[in-house]
Amino acid sequence: MNLISGIKLYIEKMCAESGPGMKIILLDKETTSIISMAFSQSDMLQREVYLFERLDSGRSNERLKYLKCIVFIRPTKQNIQLLANELRNPKYSAYYIYFSNIIPRTDIKYLAECDESESVREVKELYADYLCVNPNLFSLNMPNCMSNLNWLPDALTRSMQGITAVLLSLKLNPVIRYRAGSQAAQLLAKMIYEQITKDSTLFDFRSNMDGSAPPLLLVLDRRDDPVTPLLHQWTYQAMVHELLQIKNNRVDLSDRPNVPKDFKELVLSGDQDEFYGTNMYANYGEIGATIKTLMEEFQRKANDQKKVESIADMKNFIESYPQFKKMSGTVQKHLCIIGELSGLSNKRNLFELSELEQEIACKAEHSAQLQRIKKLIADERVTIEDALKLVALYALRYERHANCDTSSLLQIIKSRGGRAQIVPALIEYAGNHVRQGDLFNMVRITDAVKLTRNLIKGLKGVENVFTQHTPLLKETLEDIFKGRELDPVFPAINSELVPFRRPPQELVVFIIGGATYEEALAVHQLNNSGYKIILGGTTIHNSQSFINEVLTATNGIQFKHTKSMIKYCSTDNI
Amino acid sequence: MSSNPFDSDEDQGTASGEILEGFLCPICRADLKSIDVLTDHFARQHAEEEDTLKSVFNIFVKAKKKILNNFEDERGGAAAGSSSSSTAAGGASSSANGNGADQRVLSNARSRFNVFNYMSKQQVGAECSHFEYFQSVRNPRLERYASETNKLIIRLHRLLKDLPTDSVQRKQHEQQTVAWLDGTSVKLCPSCAKSFHIARRQHHCRLCGGIMCNDCSKFLALENALQLASLSTSRSEPMQHMHQGDSAIRLCEHCLWLLDTRQDMHESRTCRPLLVQVYEQIRQLQKDVTPDLDMYLKIINSLHEGETIFTITDASALRGKIGQVAEAMDMRSKRILAIYCEPGSREESLKKAIRLSCIQAIKERMLSLPPLPNEAHIQQIQERKRMETEQRILTEQRMAMEAYERYGLGATTIQSGGGLESGTFAQGSDLQSINNWSAPQASTSTSKSSLDDPLIEQINIIKGYIKQARQDMNFEVVETLELNLRELQREVYERQRKSQNSAAASPEVEQQQS
Repeated sequence: MNLISGIKLYIEKMCAESGPGMKIILLDKETTSIISMAFSQSDMLQREVYLFERLDSGRSNERLKYLKCIVFIRPTKQNIQLLANELRNPKYSAYYIYFSNIIPRTDIKYLAECDESESVREVKELYADYLCVNPNLFSLNMPNCMSNLNWLPDALTRSMQGITAVLLSLKLNPVIRYRAGSQAAQLLAKMIYEQITKDSTLFDFRSNMDGSAPPLLLVLDRRDDPVTPLLHQWTYQAMVHELLQIKNNRVDLSDRPNVPKDFKELVLSGDQDEFYGTNMYANYGEIGATIKTLMEEFQRKANDQKKVESIADMKNFIESYPQFKKMSGTVQKHLCIIGELSGLSNKRNLFELSELEQEIACKAEHSAQLQRIKKLIADERVTIEDALKLVALYALRYERHANCDTSSLLQIIKSRGGRAQIVPALIEYAGNHVRQGDLFNMVRITDAVKLTRNLIKGLKGVENVFTQHTPLLKETLEDIFKGRELDPVFPAINSELVPFRRPPQELVVFIIGGATYEEALAVHQLNNSGYKIILGGTTIHNSQSFINEVLTATNGIQFKHTKSMIKYCSTDNI
Repeated sequence: MSSNPFDSDEDQGTASGEILEGFLCPICRADLKSIDVLTDHFARQHAEEEDTLKSVFNIFVKAKKKILNNFEDERGGAAAGSSSSSTAAGGASSSANGNGADQRVLSNARSRFNVFNYMSKQQVGAECSHFEYFQSVRNPRLERYASETNKLIIRLHRLLKDLPTDSVQRKQHEQQTVAWLDGTSVKLCPSCAKSFHIARRQHHCRLCGGIMCNDCSKFLALENALQLASLSTSRSEPMQHMHQGDSAIRLCEHCLWLLDTRQDMHESRTCRPLLVQVYEQIRQLQKDVTPDLDMYLKIINSLHEGETIFTITDASALRGKIGQVAEAMDMRSKRILAIYCEPGSREESLKKAIRLSCIQAIKERMLSLPPLPNEAHIQQIQERKRMETEQRILTEQRMAMEAYERYGLGATTIQSGGGLESGTFAQGSDLQSINNWSAPQASTSTSKSSLDDPLIEQINIIKGYIKQARQDMNFEVVETLELNLRELQREVYERQRKSQNSAAASPEVEQQQS
C-alpha cells in the first residue's frame, strides 16, 4: 500500500510498453501534476521521454514522424475531442494512449473512427488519477469542493473518480462506510458504490479469498473536525505547508526577500530528497538539530575538498564532485527553508500563539483562556490572520458555553480590520450542530472508559505543549482497528461485505473538504505500528486554504446558528 | 522437587501477560503486603493444599539463601539450579519484552527513518485494455480505405505509364484508363453545390472520374504521383517538357486524401533521419556499457576484499574503456545538437533534451564511479591473503609430495587412471606453452608427473584462456574461468592428498597379498 510506487509503476509501465525509441508524452493539466509528483524530469529522460507537451497547448503542427507518442490524459470530453483531432492529423509515428480512469465505450469507438492512418498501438486504462503527496497521502487538488454546503457537481465526480483510481491502483475492493448524517459523505459513498457495481469485473480481485476481512473505505467529512486545519503545526512538512505553502510538492519562495536566486522554487519530494524523506515528520526542534549535524558534515567535507595539493587530491575531488554537489544542494535548500520558518515563527510570535491554540483545543479553561486571547489578539506582533484563528478556535470550543464571549472578541478583530465574518461562517460550516464525535473530549459522566482515559491523560501531563493536540481522525482510526462497533456512526453502504466485527486489514480514508499534514502524521504513526492506512482528501489544507474553503462553502447560505454574531456576518462593513 | 514453585508462578505470570511483584499468594495471586499476612492467609485460605504451602516456604527459604549466598550454595542442587535458570530466563524474557516495548514506543513516537526507503514490493495496479475493441472498430474501416487506395494506385500506375505529352492525346488516354462520369445531367458541383455554366466548367477527377468544378479540384504533382505509383522518375524524363499547368494530375478531394494518407503512413514507417541514426548509436553505446559499469563495481569490490580474481590493471583498463564510451556518447550527443533545425521548434527542444539526458547519464553513471583503489593498499591486502593461502598450499603440497615420493608405487595407479582422460584434454594443449602456474609445482615434484596430469594441463589451458579474455576485456568470462581455475587447483590438491592416502594404504595391501 504505497501510493507513490503505485503511480510510479503505472508510469513505468507506460514507458516500457511503447518500446525503445525517442518519445514524447502528451498530457493534460492534471496528469502533468500527477506525473510530476512521482517523477522528476531526469527520471523521465532516462526512460527516453524527451518532450513533454500539453494536449491542449495547441502548438504548431510540426511533425516529428520519428517520435513515438505516449498520451496520458484524464477521460474528459474535452480531452477526447482534442485527442480525436490529433489522431486525424497525426504528428508522430505511433500513439500509445492511456486514460487515467474509466472511459465510456462510445468514446473509444469515436477515437477508433478517427484513427485513419493506423497510428494507435495501444489504448488502456491505467488508474493513476490522484496526486500522491506522501506514500500514504493523496490529494485531488480541489481547494473548494462545496457551495451552499453541498457538493459542487464537478468536485463530486472528480472525488469519485479519484477514489476509485486509488482503489484500483492498490487492487482493493472495499466495504464502503461513510459518516452518518453527512449528506456529502453519503452521496460520495453511494456514487463510488455504484461505480464499483457497474464495473464489477474490474474490481474482481481475488485477494479476499483467504477469509481475511475485506479492506475498508471510510468517507469522512471535514466538518467533523474543523480544529485540526486551524492549528499551527510544528512538524516539518506541515509547518512548511502552513507558513510557506506546498503546492504539488513545490514551495514557492519567489516573493520572499533574502532568498538566493537558485531557491526561488524548491521541490520537496521525499522520494528524491533523502533529507526531506527522513525528516518530513520530525518536529521543528529535531530538524534544527539534524540540520546542524548535516552542516557540520558538509563543512568537514568542504574542508576536505579545500586542501587540493597533489594531483591525487585533485583527482579525488573531481571524482567525488557530483555527490558533493548534490549534498551541498540539499543542505543549502533545507537551510534556506528552515531559515524562513524560524524567521516567520519569531516575527509572528508563533510559539506563544501555538501554545494557546493547543490549550484551547485540548483543555477547557474558559475564563483564563479568554483573558489570554484578549491579550494576544491586541498584540501588534500577532498578525490579524493568526488572531482570527485564535478567535475561531475559541468560538468553536465555547460555542455552547454559558459565558461565551465571541462577540467581544470579534469586535476587537473588527477594530483591527480583520475579516470577522470568517468566524460565523466557520460555525455555520462546522459548528456544534453538524459535528459528530467528541471533538473537544466533552465527556459525559456515563462514558466510563473515556472518563478514565482523560483522567490518566490529565495526570500524565503533556510532554510537549506545542504538540498536545491529536486529530480526531486518530481516535476514529484506533476505534476501527480495535474492532469497535461502527454501524451507528459509520454505516456501510454495501453491508453484504461487512465481516462480523473484525477490523479491516487495509483502510482508505477520504476526507471531504480536505485532509491535513497533521492527520497524515497520525496515519504515518499508526502505519508504523503495523496498520495499513491511506489518507486522502479533496485537497491538503493549511489554515488559510481551509478558511477560504469555509467561506466559499458557506457563501450564500442563510446563517441559522449564529444569530448572536449577525452583525459580523456581512462582508460590506469592514 | 518436581513441582518447582518458580515455574508455576512464572507460568501464571506469563499467561496473564504481566509480571506481579510483592508478597503474592501463589494460588489466588493476591498481594498480601507482608510475609506474616501471607503465611496467615495461606494457612487459612488454602489449608488443604499442604504441599503447596511447603513449596511456598521453600520459595522464601531459597530467596533468602540466594540473597545471602549469592547463588553459591545452590548450584549443587539440581532443582535449585533449574529454578535459578528459570528465573534468569524469565528475567531475560521480561527484559526482552521491555526492549521490544521500548522499540515500539520509539518507532511510534517519531519515526526518523525515511518513509520512502522501506517500500515493500508492490504490484502494478489494475488495468484495462480497450485496444481489442478499438481495433475491431478501426480495422474494417482501414481495410476499406486500403483497398480503395490500392485501386487508385493501380489506376495511377496505368495512367502514368505511357502518358502522352500531347494534351488531346493525353485526355484520350486518361479517359481510356478511367471512365469519366457522364456530366450532362449534373447541374451543380457535388462538393460546393454551385451551378455549372460557361465560366464554371465541369472537371473530372482523373482517378475516379467524378465531377467537380475547378475550385473544388485538387492537384497532385506529377513527381509525387510517379513516386506513389512506384515508377522511377528517369523513365518519365520526357514529361518534364510539359508546361506548368499540365505537370499535375487533377483529382477530387477524397482521392487526394486517400493518396496522401498512404504516403504519410509510408513515410512515418520508413522515416529515419540522421538524428534517429545518431540517437540509436548513443542508445547502443549506453546499452553496451551497462554491464561494464556493473562489472567495474564488482571488480572494485573484489579488489577491496583482497580477492585475486581481478587485478588492478583490469580495473583501470575497464575504467578506460568506460571513459571512451562516455566520450563517444558525449561526441554523438553534440553532433545531434549540431543538426540544423528551426529555432524554437519542437525538434530543437528534443535535441536539447537528448543532450541533457546524455550528460546526465555520463555524469551520474560513468563519472561517479568509485575511483581506482590505491595500488599499494590493494597489494597489501592481496599479499596478506596470498601469503595465507600460499602457506596453506605449500604445506599441503609438501605433505602430498612427501607421501608421493615415499610410496612411489601408488603413483602408477593414479597415472593409469588419468591416462585415459588425458586424450580428451589434449586438444587444448596448444595453449600449454603459457605454463606459469606449474613452475613452482615443478620445483617440488618431478616435472614429468605434473605435466602428465590432465588436470594440470587443463589448468594451463584455462590460464591461457583467461589471458586472452583479459585482453578482450571480457571480464565476465575472466571471472568464471578464474573460478573454474580455483576449483581445478583445489581438485588437484585433493587428488594429491588422496593419492598420498592410497599410496599409504597400498603397501599394506601388498604386504597382505604377499
